[in-house]
Amino acid sequence: METKLQIHDTGNGYPGDQQLLRLRRASSGQSHQNYPQFNQNSDPTEEEEEGVEEVDSSGPNVELRNTPLPMAIKRAVWKSQQMQDNRASSSKSWKQKNKKSLRNLRSITREAGQFFTLWGKSLQLIGGNFGGGVQSYFLFLRFLVILNFFSCLLIAGFVLIPSIIFRSVGTSLENSTGPEECMKYDPNPPGLVLFYNYFLDLLSGTGFMEYSYLFYGYYNNTQVAEESFSYNIPLAYLFTAVFYFAFCLICLIIRMGNAARVAVATGGSAVGSYSMIIFTGWDYGCLGDQATRLKQKNIHYQLQVDLEEEALSRRAASLTACQKIVHYTLRVVTFLIALGLNAAAFYGIFEATNFSQQNSGRAGFLGLFFEYLPSIAITTANFVVPLLCDQFALIERYSPSTTVILVLLRAVFLRLLSLGVLILTLWQQITCDGNANSRDCSLCKYNNKDYPCWETRVGQEMYKLTLFDFLVNLAVLVLVEFPRRIVVDHCPNKLVQWFGRQEFAVPHNVLGLVYGQTVVWTGALFCPLLPVINTIKFVILFYCKKITLFHNCRPALKTFRSTTSTIYFLVTLVFGWGLATVVMIYSLAEIQPSMGCGPFRFFPTMWSIVPTSFYNLSAVTQDFLFFIGSQAFSIPLFVFSCVVMCYFIALAAVYGKSVALLRTQLKLEGRDKKFLVRQIEELSRQLERPNANSGAHS
Amino acid sequence: MGTTASQLGKELLSEYQELTFLTKQEILLAHKRFSELLTKDEKDLPNTKVSMERILTLPELKSNPFRKRICHVFSTSEQKDGSLTFENFLDLLSAFSDSATLEIKSHYAFRIFDFDDDGTLDRGDLEKLVNCLTGETDDTRLTPEEMRQLIDNILEESDIDRDGTVNLSEFQHVISRSPDFVSSFKIVL
Repeated sequence: METKLQIHDTGNGYPGDQQLLRLRRASSGQSHQNYPQFNQNSDPTEEEEEGVEEVDSSGPNVELRNTPLPMAIKRAVWKSQQMQDNRASSSKSWKQKNKKSLRNLRSITREAGQFFTLWGKSLQLIGGNFGGGVQSYFLFLRFLVILNFFSCLLIAGFVLIPSIIFRSVGTSLENSTGPEECMKYDPNPPGLVLFYNYFLDLLSGTGFMEYSYLFYGYYNNTQVAEESFSYNIPLAYLFTAVFYFAFCLICLIIRMGNAARVAVATGGSAVGSYSMIIFTGWDYGCLGDQATRLKQKNIHYQLQVDLEEEALSRRAASLTACQKIVHYTLRVVTFLIALGLNAAAFYGIFEATNFSQQNSGRAGFLGLFFEYLPSIAITTANFVVPLLCDQFALIERYSPSTTVILVLLRAVFLRLLSLGVLILTLWQQITCDGNANSRDCSLCKYNNKDYPCWETRVGQEMYKLTLFDFLVNLAVLVLVEFPRRIVVDHCPNKLVQWFGRQEFAVPHNVLGLVYGQTVVWTGALFCPLLPVINTIKFVILFYCKKITLFHNCRPALKTFRSTTSTIYFLVTLVFGWGLATVVMIYSLAEIQPSMGCGPFRFFPTMWSIVPTSFYNLSAVTQDFLFFIGSQAFSIPLFVFSCVVMCYFIALAAVYGKSVALLRTQLKLEGRDKKFLVRQIEELSRQLERPNANSGAHS
Repeated sequence: MGTTASQLGKELLSEYQELTFLTKQEILLAHKRFSELLTKDEKDLPNTKVSMERILTLPELKSNPFRKRICHVFSTSEQKDGSLTFENFLDLLSAFSDSATLEIKSHYAFRIFDFDDDGTLDRGDLEKLVNCLTGETDDTRLTPEEMRQLIDNILEESDIDRDGTVNLSEFQHVISRSPDFVSSFKIVL
């Protein structure tokens, strides 16, 4: 029997037509196929015509490359389409020419984009050999590198380069009005400097590094005002800092939006996890026998774990009341213990910071040790407490995905609040516990004896934290990970082999990145070159982590889904951003800037330069800005944004309902199909019976 | 047609760009890699078919557990032996490329998983699929009990019309809820 050419209607795939076709073929004894059949012996022109008919029926602009047909058929259809185009009206062909040129442009930009993608090949290699979970860490790191790089450009362009250019040219803004004591600031130590002090200064940002473009204290409050050009350095400094935070937030939100849109569209389905693993679990980019076998083991493990969990949950549902009470009390107890551990860690860091501030100023290596004491305390706490909390996970017996999220969230608050404690202690020391009338702070409203230039001091703390974090990472790499691999590879001892090579712990490493970035954000106002240092640090970290991944780590047995994990990484980063914003806003608005250094030296607060400069603007601009700030504008704006939000919420609800509706419709179609098929079978039986009867008789 | 000639003509190149999702660089690279698989005399003949064994020496396909099914699905040879011409090879790369849509990827994924080519995924197909995914050796296979439980779960989740098999639209419904499918269904030379 001749096989007909049927072009499959792309994507819609109503089961009705195809199953009927299949049944027809079944009755004629042909093989069951519901995709395009290509009979090479039949007449080519006949097929072209049929092809043209089918294509026309499904729409004039069918995307040809999107049809699942062999190349020869696609070419035939395309040629006939082109012939049609030549006959078509000029407007239609103009539209199609537009479409084609747009598509060409898109493909060119995509190729250019691929060329400029940073580390594209490395990331592909990592994903293929270690899975999506580890790859998401490196994608996150790359995002942070690019974010820091653009921040560098921002700061360099608006603050650093103008400062360098206008250092000698500009004039000072206001004259000194404060007490003589407050303006004493001498960062250069007198007399001979011992040679190893240079090394200590490099690590702690004091000495020759203190009075440099690295820190706030070196910038002057110069203002250049010529006929056609004016540049106000303090204002630029302030606005650059504010815009830097806004820019980072916008980037974070855009990136989170992309990931969240996908997650919401798929409905966050708890249903369908088995089909998901089976139908979408294989990564076709996996190269090599070893990677394939590892991936297969991965999937096998995942399936076993899921099936076991299902059996466990069925058993848990049938637990007696007594056992349930034991189970839940255990979870509450571990939660309280985790909370207690966190609290103990915070107290330890607080004490260490106080001790360090009291004993600062000592010379030599002991002084360096005291200076780094808060950093050491923070790092130790961040190492020990998550290690202990991980052990609880075995007792709590949550599902693996919940465990990963819990680990991440518990540890992030510890990391960020450790930083918060350090900043709080600094604040206490600088503003004498917020008490402006205490002995030390009564003169200049800040503690000018210990902190003649407190912004530089805060900047130095952040600089030290960044540097220490980086050095610890390198030290762990060289002193822990490489030796561990060497020991495991060459020592046949059973205990050592059970310990094995390490796994690449993604949550732990991600928290390291979040912590580093939060420190940079907090310190950016006081140490403008910190994003530059951070970019270099993250680039070196990428290569170091890649090396350790490929040489020292084995692929993880448990992987988690990359899209959901990316969202949580970005959420923790937003927490860090929030902490840094609080610090920045408080520093801008509340604390008296140092009178001995910096671009804001004669202003009551850093923010007060904005109203001062505001009155230099033209009257029209002033009126416009007043209007925007007034109630007459902001209340309608607020109402309007509420309306827009309600509209989007309603839209989302409608889409959700229509998805459910389409699903039930699909079920009904299936039932209709079964009914029709039964009808056809019955009718065909009835037709055959009279034929058989008449045949028997004749 | 000169598709296996040593140089790809400009017109042919733009035709392939029009009909597939591949960029110009990707098509030229595919041509180079395909030509490496040919013997010297085959290089001059147009439209040569390369046998499945030689295709499977490509490193991107060599260790893929679905390699034989992929060759069968994209092959248009009458002997059904999985041999591919250059245009079949381009179709393969187009479906697995970065820019291919979810529709075409899900369609071809369905055909690859349909081991008996009957248009639906029944229990036998699903069992073979799971074995491919977990590995064929004895220590990585699921026990029969686990396999039964797993296939029951899959059919429970994806078989909407309850006919005991997963057809194309049910399959596409499951795939559309997965955010990672498009990025994992990718083979790049």
